[in-house]
Amino acid sequence: MQSFIKRRLRNTALTVAALGGFVAWKLWRESGLCATSFDTGYALLAAILFLALYNFRKKLPVLPWTTSAGWLQLHLYVGLSTAVLLGLHIDWRVPNGILETILAALYLATFASGLIGIYWTRTLPRKLARVSEEVIFERIPLLRSQVRDRAERAVLEAVRSSGATTLGEFYSDRLHDFFQRSRGLRFFLRPNNRLRRQLLAELTEVNRYLSEPERKTCEQLFALIRRRDDLDYHAALQWRLKAWLFLHIGLTYPLVAVASVHGLLAHLFDGGAL
Amino acid sequence: MTQSLTEITVTRPQRWDVPFGDAMRDADVDELLKIEPFASMDAERFPAAIPLRGILKNDTRVSSYQDGDIVVREGDYGSSAFLILSGTVSVVLEGLDPEALGRQSPEKQSVWQSLTRMWKNPRLPEVRSQFTSSSTLVASDRQPVADLAQTRVFLQDVPRALAGARSVTLHTGEIFGELSALTRTPRSATVLADGKVFLLEIRWQGLRDLMRRTDALRQHVEQLYRENSLRVHLRETPLLAQLPAQQLEAVAEATVFETHGNFEWHATFESPAVTPSQDAIVSEPLIVEEDSPSEGVLLVRSGFARLSHRYGHGHRTVAYLGKGQVFGLTEAIESYKAQQPTPMRNSLRALGYVDVIRIPQSVLEEHVFPAISESLLAEVAKKHAVQCSHHHCDVHDGPLGCEQGRVDPDLLEFLVERRFINGSQAMLIDLDRCTRCDDCVRACAATHDNNPRFIRHGHHHGSYMVANACMHCVDPVCMIGCPTGAIGRDQETGVARINDLTCIGCSTCANSCPYDNIRMAEIRDRSGAVIFDETSQQPIHKATKCDLCADLAGGPACQRACPHDALVRIDLGNLGKLSQWVNR
Repeated sequence: MQSFIKRRLRNTALTVAALGGFVAWKLWRESGLCATSFDTGYALLAAILFLALYNFRKKLPVLPWTTSAGWLQLHLYVGLSTAVLLGLHIDWRVPNGILETILAALYLATFASGLIGIYWTRTLPRKLARVSEEVIFERIPLLRSQVRDRAERAVLEAVRSSGATTLGEFYSDRLHDFFQRSRGLRFFLRPNNRLRRQLLAELTEVNRYLSEPERKTCEQLFALIRRRDDLDYHAALQWRLKAWLFLHIGLTYPLVAVASVHGLLAHLFDGGAL
Repeated sequence: MTQSLTEITVTRPQRWDVPFGDAMRDADVDELLKIEPFASMDAERFPAAIPLRGILKNDTRVSSYQDGDIVVREGDYGSSAFLILSGTVSVVLEGLDPEALGRQSPEKQSVWQSLTRMWKNPRLPEVRSQFTSSSTLVASDRQPVADLAQTRVFLQDVPRALAGARSVTLHTGEIFGELSALTRTPRSATVLADGKVFLLEIRWQGLRDLMRRTDALRQHVEQLYRENSLRVHLRETPLLAQLPAQQLEAVAEATVFETHGNFEWHATFESPAVTPSQDAIVSEPLIVEEDSPSEGVLLVRSGFARLSHRYGHGHRTVAYLGKGQVFGLTEAIESYKAQQPTPMRNSLRALGYVDVIRIPQSVLEEHVFPAISESLLAEVAKKHAVQCSHHHCDVHDGPLGCEQGRVDPDLLEFLVERRFINGSQAMLIDLDRCTRCDDCVRACAATHDNNPRFIRHGHHHGSYMVANACMHCVDPVCMIGCPTGAIGRDQETGVARINDLTCIGCSTCANSCPYDNIRMAEIRDRSGAVIFDETSQQPIHKATKCDLCADLAGGPACQRACPHDALVRIDLGNLGKLSQWVNR
């Protein structure tokens, strides 16, 4: 059996066993008429704090204890377990009250962003790997400007050498903005190759009206359109992977803060626990 | 030294700023010039910049050893050769107990030390503290590389430790250690002092310069290299290990030592982007051609060779052979059984350069095969066989002298074409899992002067990318031209490291690296001022590259920082491990 499948089965089994044990313990405590809301609450808070610790672990790469991949595995399975812990803590009812609602909303947002993160980190890398070129996110603006400069130079040279302006006009009408401008938020949220196909089709159409030197430049433009689109695609997907993580980590801090306030208030209004 | 807010000028480091060990006195050099081989050297043949006296003064050191002292240990990486000035040494031809040889695990930083270092790291990249107060280099910044001050190990109870072990005695005037110094390979034997002995240790850069300008020394060293290499290698070959000494000697006598390709192959290596792959294969030095009659067995001594099979109008790579692997054994056994030459099923070509030992068929038939049972011969022949069909070639488990894994033929071709098989710790990234989060890059920067020692970019095949990180090559050609020996292998681990103290920023290593894995970095002092050479007014650079986080307890930070198991440091010469990782 492949090692990733084996790991997934093992971790799932361990998580289910741990959760089963916790549920059994809770039922046993409740059968003795003990209140368990503080137990489940502390377990949930501890789990959330542990999940938040992962970001600190990332900032200390010199630590020899476990690998980041090992931490991520724990992070994933503990993160999934918090849904069950929350359910046990609130007895599977819908939270009411302002603080509880805010807390539940923060939890749900963090949990949902985590789930989306799992999906994106498993699917987007494959999509990026299928693009012919591998690019570093920070270098994309530079590469884009290089592509634009090459396109402009090629078109100007074609106009100069052939004296014809057909390709030049087409460039300024249809391609200038494509090479010059950013693709916009819609493309970043849902990248597609519609514009690329459209521009390539239009360029193919115009090809019949071109002179010989312009046709050679046209071939270059085909390649440059593809390259620019690939760069935009990389930018969109890599940005999404980075933005998602930023959001997920950003939600963690208010979640921890509100959860701590909730715990403190629970003790204050518990009738003398503090 | 002059200083401004943004720049600081110092004298550019030179080759002999830091001599090899304690500086030799002029009187010592005069004494050396009276003995052979230096006495017969023509000082006029040396250029003014690298005079003979300069080499002896700066690239050599005299050391004395007491009875039982270990001079070199088998398996250590060495960058120097030894000339016996007086006394004798014993070369132990059989492996000794590692514990007796004083082998210890390399010292790692504790967690606390690692955290403190990270905390104290200057915020600016590539800060060098030695330039803060003086233009001279400060010893406290010295890194434990280049074998400048090795701890001496004493072998207790020498007769007991050597009991039964074969050894050879070397006398005054003889040279040893040249093999690993010149070929960038581990020491092949342990050498012990026999009583009090005085040795002249010659840094390999010095030995290379002496050999370049002294024909007799070059021929002598080459002869030693050939003889020692042959004996050692035959002893290590499983097929010959059981042979009686007399027959082994007969095999050794008849064995031919061959070198194919160019030792400095990196100078002529062109990436496949420049040379089409089929042209590249055909241009590789041919050692044995497919369909030619079997003439014996080839043992790979060092370097790499490509095993290929004709397919259509081209050649398809079947496997690559490295040190210790065998070629042509199946055909040799079949020829022996059939009593007539069998045609070779595959071709063998040198990748860069390769040293091979050829044992002729007649010698095998006379001394080796008759000593082995029929069933064992049949088993060996089957184990080493390579079956090729129209679509692919099957290499059985454990053929060719070592474990071969199943790797996609295209991936294999990619690794061979670009010589990535040379990498013993290559950074391989699975792009299907890599989220491009750059945690690996940040981890590397955090542990190395705030400047990552690799680029998360490089050649890729399908979803596998070999990133631009030092691969700690089996044959580290980056070391060839270094004028100061600043780049060298760690004695214990073999990790290629750069001694920042002795690096003069000449870029020779960066230009020699065929994989573009060494970067020249501008350096700063603690205030952030860029350091300039006071003569040329050009910034001073230092060569930087991955050191595999040799000081960190947990190993390479990049690999440990990857959250998605997408990055691995892997020996690309080991197909078994590679196939295991690829097929996770």
